[in-house]
Amino acid sequence: MVLTLFMSIVATSANGQGRIVFTPQWTAQAQFAGYYVAQEKGFYREAGIEVEIVHPSLTQSAMDRIHKGESHATTLQLCQAMEIIDDGVQMVNILQTSMNNAMVIVSRRGVDPLTQKGARVGIWSAGFGQLAICMNIKDSLNYEWVPFASNLNLFVAGAIDATLAMSYNEYYQLKQTGMPMDEKNVYRFCDHGYNVQEDGVYMQRDYYLAHKNEARKFAEASRRGWEWAAAHPEETLEIVMKYVNKNHIVTNRTLQRLMLAEVLRLQVDRESGKREFRLRPDMVENASRMMVEMKMLKNEVTYDQLTDEKIR
Amino acid sequence: MKRLDKKLSLWVVSFATIILVTSLGFMFGVSRKAIRQEAINRATDILENTTLRVNGILDKVVVAANNTDWLVVRHLDKPDSMFVYSRKILENNPNLNGCSIAFEPNYFKDKGRYFSAYSYNDNGTILTTQEGNDHYQYFYLDWYQLCKLLDRPVWTEPFMDNNPDDICSPDMIVSYCKPLKDRDSNYVGTISVDLSLSWLSQMISAVKPYPNSYSMMIGQGGTFFVHPDSTKLLYQSIFTESLEHEDSAMVELGHAMQRGDEGMRQMTIDGKACYVFFKPLGETGWSAAIVCLESDIFGAFYRMRRTVVFTVLAALLLMMMVCSRIIRRELKPLTQLSKQAETIASGNFGVVLPDDGRRDEIGQLTQSFTNMQHSLVSYIDELKQTTAQKASIESELKVARDIQMSMLPRVFPAFPNRRDIDLFAMMTPAKEVGGDLYDYFVQDERLYLCVGDVSGKGIPASLFMAVTRNLFRIVAQQGHTAAEIATQLNNILSHDNDQNMFVTMFIGCADLRTGHFDYCNCGHNIPLLDGKFMDVRNTNFPLGVMEGVTFIGESIDDIRDHQLLIYTDGLNEAENQQHELFGDDRLLDFISDKQDVAAEKLIPMLHEVIERHRNGAIPNDDLTMLCLKVIKL
Repeated sequence: MVLTLFMSIVATSANGQGRIVFTPQWTAQAQFAGYYVAQEKGFYREAGIEVEIVHPSLTQSAMDRIHKGESHATTLQLCQAMEIIDDGVQMVNILQTSMNNAMVIVSRRGVDPLTQKGARVGIWSAGFGQLAICMNIKDSLNYEWVPFASNLNLFVAGAIDATLAMSYNEYYQLKQTGMPMDEKNVYRFCDHGYNVQEDGVYMQRDYYLAHKNEARKFAEASRRGWEWAAAHPEETLEIVMKYVNKNHIVTNRTLQRLMLAEVLRLQVDRESGKREFRLRPDMVENASRMMVEMKMLKNEVTYDQLTDEKIR
Repeated sequence: MKRLDKKLSLWVVSFATIILVTSLGFMFGVSRKAIRQEAINRATDILENTTLRVNGILDKVVVAANNTDWLVVRHLDKPDSMFVYSRKILENNPNLNGCSIAFEPNYFKDKGRYFSAYSYNDNGTILTTQEGNDHYQYFYLDWYQLCKLLDRPVWTEPFMDNNPDDICSPDMIVSYCKPLKDRDSNYVGTISVDLSLSWLSQMISAVKPYPNSYSMMIGQGGTFFVHPDSTKLLYQSIFTESLEHEDSAMVELGHAMQRGDEGMRQMTIDGKACYVFFKPLGETGWSAAIVCLESDIFGAFYRMRRTVVFTVLAALLLMMMVCSRIIRRELKPLTQLSKQAETIASGNFGVVLPDDGRRDEIGQLTQSFTNMQHSLVSYIDELKQTTAQKASIESELKVARDIQMSMLPRVFPAFPNRRDIDLFAMMTPAKEVGGDLYDYFVQDERLYLCVGDVSGKGIPASLFMAVTRNLFRIVAQQGHTAAEIATQLNNILSHDNDQNMFVTMFIGCADLRTGHFDYCNCGHNIPLLDGKFMDVRNTNFPLGVMEGVTFIGESIDDIRDHQLLIYTDGLNEAENQQHELFGDDRLLDFISDKQDVAAEKLIPMLHEVIERHRNGAIPNDDLTMLCLKVIKL
């Protein structure tokens, strides 16, 4: 009891001095390189905040930690964030990193995913597939979704006809299995009117309102981390591998190098050609309307609900 | 000069080298092929045995699952019995790591959403638990879903076991999963039996047909789960490196292994030439491969080849030296022979050639040289005699020439006391003695002259010429006309002319007082009068051809102050080295402006022109020229 009280006081005290526990939504990988860089290069410390990066575990997802107050910031895809807000949990985007959608559908060699009506298609059991679900309804593809936990063995073994994949992660994992990939058997959502931004850093609105200064510092230092990563990809890869090895992630340097390059590419806005680090209102509106139409959201989630302009 | 022994040795060694290189190349080729085949057989056998052993162990897992699943489906109404069955499998099969009997969400109404009876071997102690919960949604995992979706038993890809309760095996494990179906054949869940792969790694890694060979195994997705580089296990696939660096050979190997092909590939791995033998592992979808370095397989062969090559090189060098010595020794008599031949060539024919009693080619050559020496000696003797005889003949010929020349008037001016006669003549025989002749004399104020050419050359012609000249003197002195002289000469020469010799002749007789010129041309060249051919209408036969013929003469009223050039065909038919004749044209051209030149000058000038035309060519015929001008005082 005394120990619990002591820990609580320490935590509160630490929070008071600008301590943020950050939990990315997935295990350690180059998808979160900018945050690792900001931590390792001391950008957070220089910004006057203490940041602890804690990855989710099999027993505890990132949002579980947010709900419990164990973590203060996490990364979410835009569609995920909308679903969470629609479910009544108010989240604020404090930094948007992705400017493009990375999701793809991969089917067997020579087969166009759009021709596979009623096919069994793999989807992450942890979410992330909102756009694919929209497309499935909109285009009347009648896909039978088969949730998978974390790997692509179902598709490789031929148990499913196609699978969802991220262009920076599962896409390369599939290539690593020797799977032939070309324009025909890979459907890229971003090229078909579904270019909705993905990763951004979110905080619960209550926490954010109470710690605006820390949130701003965290966002700025994280952005600095990403910019440094873009300028120093090989050194960034070393930092990523340090986190990967520390967390015993089943991956390799090659995959992480490819992932880093792709994640950095996705951060460049197609129209401006720059890393803008901002949510695009048009993309928010587009995604929200689409998800409402497909009855994936009860109400539209607006740009204002997602952001607090004052921190930008 | 390149020595013959060196040259021959080089030829012999070169030929031997060609034969040896061809033979050794063929032998090395055959040996390499045999070694390669032996390596293929060896690796294939080892791979076969290994896969049999692995399949044997995997079959036990299959049997364990098969022995239990019928009990499970028979007691679907008793969920708690599943714990007993999963435990029982491990008790009966101590090598197994774990067993899950998992069911579809909410399958048992009173057990909630999750029900997976899981037993695991914790260092010899078998523990049993229900492993499904919100954080461990087993029905999304491969081991559960694969057999459900494929509707058949499957082996999962090897993985590191992790579950929410930190029930974690330090080993890589693999699961054999089988769909469970109720009496209506509806899928209800999955039975999964886990097996540690540490034994597999040990077994496969122990397979080393060659010192540096190693084994590897990949799963259906190409992931390594046996590899000497432990950092690659589960973390990398056979395709990983080719994602960044094109390696088509490795990609092809990966695809072949994924397809379940069996075979061998020759390729380069990490910069080393390798042979990769691969074979699928039963129905697992996995494939095992043995990588053998080419340097291992052919190491002994390469060493042997190096040794043989060096030995052969040394042997060829030795052969060259020995050959050279032997040939030099064998050719030694030839060297002596050569020196003695040079002595003979210098004129010392008395040298005694060596006779070492050899009966081979060199012996024969020595004998031939001896014979040649004897022949040379006798030939030289004969030559000496012939030369002496020739010298004698030449001497006689010289005398004959002198005699012949002395028969012709050679003192010029021919008539020093007479200013009215300008006459000069020259006879140049082609050989020692010639068949041309000329003569002239004055008798009773009449100048008789003749120029003749006997058929043929040499001694016969010279004798005939001598006879003809003497006959001319005798007949002409009788005061006849030119035609009469010719007729008489012809009759005398034709009589008993068994040799059928004849002579062409121009005979002339000038009256020095009146200038009347009487002449008869007997088949002779037409003379030139004042640089033009004379008007000769009757050519007549040459003298000596036919007896009894009357020769017809002609005359010129006054020849005084006219230049008359009489010559033999040695003048106009003089040939140069290109066999071009001097010809009438050149002759006429030469003489055209020389009517006033004195005979004594004209004839030598003309002789010089002819010599120039010959330009060193040997005279082809006797040359005689006579020039006369009777001067009117």
